[in-house]
Amino acid sequence: MDKIIEALNKGIENAGVERRKVCLVTDIAYSPDVVDFLGIDLFHTSRGRAIPYATGMKLANPKLLPVVLIGDIATLGGNHFVHSCRRNMDIVVICVNDFVYREVAGETAPGDFSPISFSPYLSFEKPLNIPHMARSCGCVNVSRWTALHTDELANSISQALHRKGLSLIDVISSAPDLLEFYYKNSELRNDEDTLNVEIEKDRKIVVGNFFNEEKPSFIEAYNEQHTKILGDNFVKIEVE
Amino acid sequence: MKAVENIFLKGKHTLSGFEACAEGALSAGCRFLGYYPIRPSFEIIERFINRCSDVDGVFVQMEDEISALAAVLGASWTGRKSMTVTSGPGFSQMMEHVGLGVMLETPCVIIDVQRSGISEGLPNAVGGGDIMQARWGSHGDYEIIALAPNSPLEMFELTVRAFNFSERFRTPVVILSDVVIGRKKEEINIPDQKDIKIKKRKYYKGKKEDYLPFKYDEKDLIPPMVDIGQGCRFHVTGLTHDERGYPVMSDSCQEWNVHRLVNKIRLFSDQIIEVEEDQTEDADVVIVSYGATSLDAIKAVKQARDEGIKAGHLRLVTIWPFPEKRISELARKIDAFVVPEINYGQIFYEVERCSRGGAETLFVHHASSQVGQSADILKSIKKARGNNK
Repeated sequence: MDKIIEALNKGIENAGVERRKVCLVTDIAYSPDVVDFLGIDLFHTSRGRAIPYATGMKLANPKLLPVVLIGDIATLGGNHFVHSCRRNMDIVVICVNDFVYREVAGETAPGDFSPISFSPYLSFEKPLNIPHMARSCGCVNVSRWTALHTDELANSISQALHRKGLSLIDVISSAPDLLEFYYKNSELRNDEDTLNVEIEKDRKIVVGNFFNEEKPSFIEAYNEQHTKILGDNFVKIEVE
Repeated sequence: MKAVENIFLKGKHTLSGFEACAEGALSAGCRFLGYYPIRPSFEIIERFINRCSDVDGVFVQMEDEISALAAVLGASWTGRKSMTVTSGPGFSQMMEHVGLGVMLETPCVIIDVQRSGISEGLPNAVGGGDIMQARWGSHGDYEIIALAPNSPLEMFELTVRAFNFSERFRTPVVILSDVVIGRKKEEINIPDQKDIKIKKRKYYKGKKEDYLPFKYDEKDLIPPMVDIGQGCRFHVTGLTHDERGYPVMSDSCQEWNVHRLVNKIRLFSDQIIEVEEDQTEDADVVIVSYGATSLDAIKAVKQARDEGIKAGHLRLVTIWPFPEKRISELARKIDAFVVPEINYGQIFYEVERCSRGGAETLFVHHASSQVGQSADILKSIKKARGNNK
């Protein structure tokens, strides 16, 4: 089973939330076995667009706990991600950061750090600092782990499931042969300024819980603003 | 909070088409609006937001139209009736998710207030160029349902019907509107909410562990739905899938998948298609029109009849699926069709195709500047009669 799914399972378990309320929204085709393994519903949507799909779900039924597993966050999903962070939308976003789109041989992600490149002439583009991008756009719960940091990742997921607003967990992941490489080349630096967690060749991958702050979530802000203007006539989005 | 039954309008009200559309959505049970503002569709959004906050309606301005429709699809799977409102450039962006909506069989409504294109075009001018986009805009093979109102009353009624069709057929349904109809104000008589027919979604009633998201009933080809988060543990994907919703990368599964998606609408098109006919019984020339142009076509038919020309009118209430049978029948009886459109020929080709050489088909480029006038349509009726004397 995929390491991230394993951590997700553990995270849901640790969070103690009702499993059926958690729904996985992906832009990547996962093995459908995940559904039975996790005991949740799974929506495989269009490339890079899982975040707005989950946004609609959450607002239409705030009791749900959408978890977005997304690969193309910095490319196709870039604008959606920027605005979800800005809104502090009440969802969990797990970025499956593999630098290279393994399924699409020859295609390069924004920045290629892996020792093996599927780009025929190797990538020359700089990696995008996803945690810093999230932070800059207003995201207040930011962490990064490699896929082999199962316990730490599960812990971040279980905390995220209880937090209001958007939580971003950047997971350095790739084909199984590279997981060990990333894990060994990572360095734990909790509370590190996201400016300093850029991924560069010949440098350790910085992992940890980088940022955590309280800020009104989208649903809280939505309720507050409309109640202020419309008074008691306004029907709030009830989360509980 | 007002009681739900108190929020609906009933009886006589003077409303614009846009206002009537928002009221229709509320009456149909729509409680989620995902949108990105675009001219000339603001008034629908504004009205819906003002009204839906009295009930448990939710609205969100997304970052673009791609995400607006994605949010609508996600919302619909929770069991909330959902819609988006847009215009040409936004509708273009939505095409990716029209395809996902069709593939995931997600009920939702897209209100497209057509404006003059191409690209950004004339944002406030009446347009009619999105007809084929509604039909073929997303890649792959599928059928779509599209309706074209021509009055504020129809903006109300067809919006309700669009939601009913979307629930009945589990598919996105498009309202192809325009500013002429949208800004037209008239007194309309809104029925009591309890007298409005609302189609309920077909829900799965079996054991949770046995639920298969794309296992369909043979009689209507529609798979029953469940809302997200009920513990059915289901998997759906935009990839070619089997009845479990699992991706299956085979030609046979592709056929199984797409064949039914097409047939669930194609084989039941008689339940969807509606046309309105006037004086077609003895007509030599029949105008085929829809939306704003139909108002000018009505005038042209009257003028032609006053001059002794046997003209008739067929108005498309349903644009897609296209009323092929009726056009073919008429083609065998009449001399010519005249098809005025606010574009350079879209429905014209459908009429020509369906008449199968039985009747001459004349196109009238009824430019946005000519909307409100009927001279060009009358001229074509006369030309058609001259050609067939």
